[in-house]
Amino acid sequence: MANKKPKTSISNIHEIGLLVALIIVMLTFGFTTDNFFTERNFMSILRSASYVGLVAFPMTFVLISREIDISVGPSVAWSGVFFAGLIKWYGISYPMAAAIVLLWGIFLGYFVGIARTKFFIPTFITTLALWSALRGFSLWITDGMPVLISDKTFRYFFGGDLAGVPVVTWIMLITFFVFWFISRYTVLGTNIYAVGGNPKAARSIGINVDNVKIITLVATSFFAAIVGILFVARVASGNSTVGEGMEFDVIAAVVVGGTALGGAVGRMTGTLLGVLFISVIGNGLIHWGIDPDLNKVVRGVIIFIAVVINSNLSFKRNSGPKED
Amino acid sequence: MSILKLNNISKSFGAIQALDDVSLSLKPGEVLGLMGDNGAGKSTLVKIIAGNFKQTSGQINFEDEKVEFSKPMDARVRGIEIVYQDLALCDNLTASSNIFLTREIKRKIGPFPILNFKAMIDRAKDIFKELKSETLPEEEVKMMSGGQRQAVAIGRTKLSKAKVVLLDEPTAAISVRQVAEVLDLIKQLKAQGIAVLIISHRMPDVFAVSDRIAVLRRGKLVANKNANESSPEEVTALITGAIEKA
Repeated sequence: MANKKPKTSISNIHEIGLLVALIIVMLTFGFTTDNFFTERNFMSILRSASYVGLVAFPMTFVLISREIDISVGPSVAWSGVFFAGLIKWYGISYPMAAAIVLLWGIFLGYFVGIARTKFFIPTFITTLALWSALRGFSLWITDGMPVLISDKTFRYFFGGDLAGVPVVTWIMLITFFVFWFISRYTVLGTNIYAVGGNPKAARSIGINVDNVKIITLVATSFFAAIVGILFVARVASGNSTVGEGMEFDVIAAVVVGGTALGGAVGRMTGTLLGVLFISVIGNGLIHWGIDPDLNKVVRGVIIFIAVVINSNLSFKRNSGPKED
Repeated sequence: MSILKLNNISKSFGAIQALDDVSLSLKPGEVLGLMGDNGAGKSTLVKIIAGNFKQTSGQINFEDEKVEFSKPMDARVRGIEIVYQDLALCDNLTASSNIFLTREIKRKIGPFPILNFKAMIDRAKDIFKELKSETLPEEEVKMMSGGQRQAVAIGRTKLSKAKVVLLDEPTAAISVRQVAEVLDLIKQLKAQGIAVLIISHRMPDVFAVSDRIAVLRRGKLVANKNANESSPEEVTALITGAIEKA
């Protein structure tokens, strides 16, 4: 296969830098704590990274196409509550309940997309509204109590391990591969970059800009629903309080991975590294015994630094055509 | 034998008469410079040819056949391509990706169509070679000079084997050195038998490549003559109205 990959101007510099940073951070945690470098802890990091990653890959496309979805955390919580509620309160079978929740996820993403493309409501606003509404509704309908489910097969499979690695990690890796493939080798991927690079040009050339945006938003909402269901398998209940701050982790991972908030620039490999980076930091700070509240402060600082580095790089990359 | 013939084209927007009874024709391999002040109707005329607007009255013949374009795609399908002033390029994509946007070459892996980069890059190389441009297919457009960007935009028209290319201010926003590069691109199109219509404010550029000059003033065609029988001074006078007609 003599197929050449498309070259980028500063091809891997961001990813290499991030990889080096990831290794340094891991070594630091490894040498300063007793339990960081253990198989058990690595599985734990992989598990939490997988939930974030599943949403971060579609979110990368959303940001590249110049949109955003900040409703991820409540979306995950609501999907879990909805899923468990359908099973417990209405006696619906697991596969059927999953299908309904996933369809609902697709519908929500479509709603955000239509609001954006037909009614020109910024995705930030629509998803901010959803962020509040979905969390509030989940809390209200459950009284803040977990909705318990019992099926062991479901829990042990989707909440458990396969070949020594969490099942969610396998799902995440497959998802990564699919999104990586789409971004590099398909017309849809090219169109997403085109829409982010120059929406006006994309439209005038004949790309359906609206559809491209809707597809990326639907994908993100769909994967938030998947993560909601996978969380249920892990904790054996639908929980209105899960996924708190998850939108932060997801967007932070994507941006740390080199995707520009302003669109056009971003790669799936960067997002994968960003997800691992965020998860390692979160986990390592716990091992350092840092107060969970302060943990959030430290993560905030790290995100800020990453964005500063990122925007400097993308400023240099986007400083316009060279003149001779 | 003309490839494109405009017969008595008029266009009004409400009470405003943007074009008034304009007749023009273009032969294969001919470069026509369309000049006029702001608001003279140049852009309106080009947009009618490209299918963006419908004329109020008059008729367009393409290859001796009456045509009606209700959308830009209709004109593109017939072989009329327009290159806009802002070029409509995506800076974050490579030259070859830009050329092939919406017309990508694909191959199949099982049931999945995937992009065939090699074929697209090879084709883009050929196109740039035909245009005698040194633009690299695999380079991102944002790294390119104004001249190279123009080559990418014109390369797109080559892909569709356009017979008529409309250029909107091709030399407006670029440095003097690159103007020569763009004028060479236009000469290459001409050499390949493509009819070119350029809109430009830059008198020397128009005279450097055009076979014929047409001047619009307040929607009326006030001149349509061979470039070597006219002069920049005369055209300036026609644009401003110092000379009524030529």
